[in-house]
Amino acid sequence: CHYSRPSPSPSTLLLLLLPSTKPPLPERGLLLLMVLVFLEGSVLPLGAASSPDVTHQANSDNHIVKEAGHNFTKKPFPVLSLDYHHIQAPFEISLWVLLASLMKLGFHLIPRLSGIVPESCLLIVVGLLVGGLIKLAGEQVPPVLDSRLFFLCLLPPIILDAGYFLPIRPFMENLGTILMFAVVGTLWNAFFVGGLLYAVCQIQPGNPSILHQLELLPCLLFGSIISAVDPVAVLAVFEEIHINELLHILVFGESLLNDAVTVVLYHLFEEYAGVGSVTVMDVFLGIISFLVVAVGGVLVGAIYGILAAFTSRFTSHTRVIEPLFVFVYSYMAYLSAEMFHLSGIMSLIACGAVMRPYVEANISHKSHTTIKYFLKMWSSVSETLIFIFLGVATVEGPHNWNWTFVTVTVILCLVARVIGVVGLTYVINKFRIVKLTTKDQFIVAYGGLRGAIAFSLGFLLNKDHFPLRDMFLTAIITVIFFTVFVQGMTIKPLVELLAVKKKQEAKRSINEEIHTQFLDHLLTGIEDICGHYGHHHWKDKLNRFNKKYVKKCLIAGERSKEPQLIAFYHKMEMKQAIELVESGGGVKLPSAMPSAVSMQNIQPKKLPPAKPAERALSNLPKGREEEIRKILRSNLQRTRQRLRSYNRHTLLADPYEDGLGDLLIKKQKMIELERKIKDMNNYLTVPAAPPDSPTMCRARLASDPQAYSMKPEPDSVPTIQVDLASPQSPDSVNLMDEFRRAEQQHEEDQGLMMKPPSGESGPKKPGEEDGSREHKLMRCLSDPGPSADEDEDEPFLP
Amino acid sequence: MGSSNSSVNNIPNAQELMQETGFSAAHILRLHERFEFLDKHKCGQLRLVDRPTNQPQDFGAVQELALNPIGDSIISAFFSPGQETVDFASFVRILAHFRPTDRNQSRDGAQQEPANSSIRKLKFAFQMYDQDRDGKISRAELLQVLRAMLGIQVTEEQLQSIAERAIQEADLDRDDAISFDEFRKSLEKVDIDHKMSIRFLR
Repeated sequence: CHYSRPSPSPSTLLLLLLPSTKPPLPERGLLLLMVLVFLEGSVLPLGAASSPDVTHQANSDNHIVKEAGHNFTKKPFPVLSLDYHHIQAPFEISLWVLLASLMKLGFHLIPRLSGIVPESCLLIVVGLLVGGLIKLAGEQVPPVLDSRLFFLCLLPPIILDAGYFLPIRPFMENLGTILMFAVVGTLWNAFFVGGLLYAVCQIQPGNPSILHQLELLPCLLFGSIISAVDPVAVLAVFEEIHINELLHILVFGESLLNDAVTVVLYHLFEEYAGVGSVTVMDVFLGIISFLVVAVGGVLVGAIYGILAAFTSRFTSHTRVIEPLFVFVYSYMAYLSAEMFHLSGIMSLIACGAVMRPYVEANISHKSHTTIKYFLKMWSSVSETLIFIFLGVATVEGPHNWNWTFVTVTVILCLVARVIGVVGLTYVINKFRIVKLTTKDQFIVAYGGLRGAIAFSLGFLLNKDHFPLRDMFLTAIITVIFFTVFVQGMTIKPLVELLAVKKKQEAKRSINEEIHTQFLDHLLTGIEDICGHYGHHHWKDKLNRFNKKYVKKCLIAGERSKEPQLIAFYHKMEMKQAIELVESGGGVKLPSAMPSAVSMQNIQPKKLPPAKPAERALSNLPKGREEEIRKILRSNLQRTRQRLRSYNRHTLLADPYEDGLGDLLIKKQKMIELERKIKDMNNYLTVPAAPPDSPTMCRARLASDPQAYSMKPEPDSVPTIQVDLASPQSPDSVNLMDEFRRAEQQHEEDQGLMMKPPSGESGPKKPGEEDGSREHKLMRCLSDPGPSADEDEDEPFLP
Repeated sequence: MGSSNSSVNNIPNAQELMQETGFSAAHILRLHERFEFLDKHKCGQLRLVDRPTNQPQDFGAVQELALNPIGDSIISAFFSPGQETVDFASFVRILAHFRPTDRNQSRDGAQQEPANSSIRKLKFAFQMYDQDRDGKISRAELLQVLRAMLGIQVTEEQLQSIAERAIQEADLDRDDAISFDEFRKSLEKVDIDHKMSIRFLR
């Protein structure tokens, strides 16, 4: 019986990590929970391991007894029995996921540690601990980093998350550079490391060692496995250091695109390692294979992406399964590519990047939020699991430590990377407008982290063909540990030391958008005048093609004709509206409506004043008003609190911090407006809503006591007259109505179309106009997740 | 395309132009060829409009400009205010704005800012907005640009609100117009050197 042997208490280990000051009560509860999970995880399998026969026997006994029917020995009915095997697999998976998630929570309780050590390192350490515990308990360590599990389940979410939110513009602008690094750089690394390793192994003919068994091709294979920069590791480390966009996209893009090279090299060398020689023909075929793998992967992804976009066009009636299409199509793209041995990663990236602009134009706001949160959640969990599993797999082995091999590998990897980056940059800089400086080169070289992909590829190797597989694995693990720990930990202080440009605040202003579009047109024009078919020319052509044919096909309804600037502007207004609503405003207004809703009625100061009102403000009984105000305030506050609790993969910047400037502008407008309203009380119309209608809620929305104190603004502030209900529309939009109507389905009928509202002069269709306004509000207000995520604002092909 | 003008010396003031703008001889030659292609009447100048019909004349040869929303503004940017013709030197000077910036260029203080510096590039773009050259982009001018870019797809109201918002965001000194500094500030996140450079003009 194994469970009599005590396992070292995990709680003692955890206590070692605790700071000297005791954590507050809830955090202690969390730690206790983690301890319990540990214990449960270790005890239960042990319990099951020691008593399976008993239960199994009992079951079979019972069955036999029942079938026989005659020699009945009546046993007491089992009230409670332990049947672990029944649920073993899903249970263990859930336990691992739970452990991973609790770890993530736990790290942020120890702020000092998470500041110095990147999360990936901590997770590997946890994995080592867990592996050690399992081993100490005498159990067989499960082969957690099984290659199939890794490539089919753990890797896709991370890559999809990366691909879906890939910033297209910097990626495309630097595509040449990225490809150079990915293709040429990886090839260089592979051959350099493999070749020199072989050479090193062959020296010392005097004392024959195990290394002399190593032939050239296995060395090259090893080189190709170890040379690929790993996207998971890069993401994990670079996310925390917030370097500027250019460097991020260079290293990250490289890690994604080198998959094609790795796949080809791996298969090529693996095939021929048995044979022992590679001919020129094979090399030639290898090059062709590379093109097929890369382009094929991208094509497969693009096809699935277009299918997904097309499907999303018709989902206006079944909004709830919209996110599913995105996920399933992407996963199928990955699997299809893997089926043909094409590059699954590139296909996934292509699928996500292609489908995104069209899908986002078609789906509802809620679905958009769902997709984003799910992707972030899955990729986060996946990443955590991968690092933990790396730790566990390290403990398990199988290991074959060879000092020479391992140290030479590590050194060669570093050297190869540095030489590769410097050499390539020299060539690349001849073609770049904005050159890469030495600092940039250093970061690119230093950021070449290896990770779990290398390990999994090594794991896949057949022991018969590669007798030195264990040695390879040990070396791979050492390199991974070295890059993740040493490089991962030191990159942050180095970035500070070298004063590398950091990521800039992402808020894109409408000005920037207007001017960049203007400049795009300008440059295209100048190129045409020069007669030069350059970068801008082709981009312009692609945009035109996109607008003319593709958008019509893939985007439902009216939104296919919406110009980019308008879409951007809508989005911005919507965000502001949400922020304003959630912060509770701060100004008392009879009808404080975010400008998004009544966008078409916004008149700048200089235009003629609003039309005369039809009805005066209705009066609510005071008590009722207070009640409604309280309800609203509490709802909004709860939303606010929910929003504040995200941290790492955070999609939302606190609206207080981020939108403060905008909010202040809005509030100034509101104050001005209020003043004007006081003067001209025949200004705004309020419809004949029932007395306890939320019409007044809207008004009192802003009555949050923590209103900002505004300095009195001079009259020169351009004010916005918010004319809520122009005479033509019989019913203005009610906030609470929207919340109520969230349950109803009728808003789904029209889909969420953002029709460009017909002008004042044109024939008005009040119902439709209302519908579209309501839908706009619906889209923005019915879910609590506005995001200041810059990626959202990236227009497709800007 | 070996024509009789295969030597850069045939082009008047070529050396000065090269000095001033930083273009190489090959570029000057190429631009000259282009200039001659546009100059249908071989008068050594490009004309803005064809007097009788008021259609854009020489620049009309560039068909893609007709599709460009701000094509007219671009064409008129080549002509100094009030002028109706542009000669080769001015043509080259305007295009010099779009050369990629030489970061390591050293110049003495007395020399004027080179045409392809960031500031000059921005100034060029600014002047395309600011048609009346009063140093500020007024709301009307911004609206004009927006109208050109967005065309018939949006309503007047939407244009107004966008323009309103844009001015509100950028206008720091609250004079209801965007000055050059404010313009520059709103574009500080954009890499102008990259954005406003045409690679082949290096």
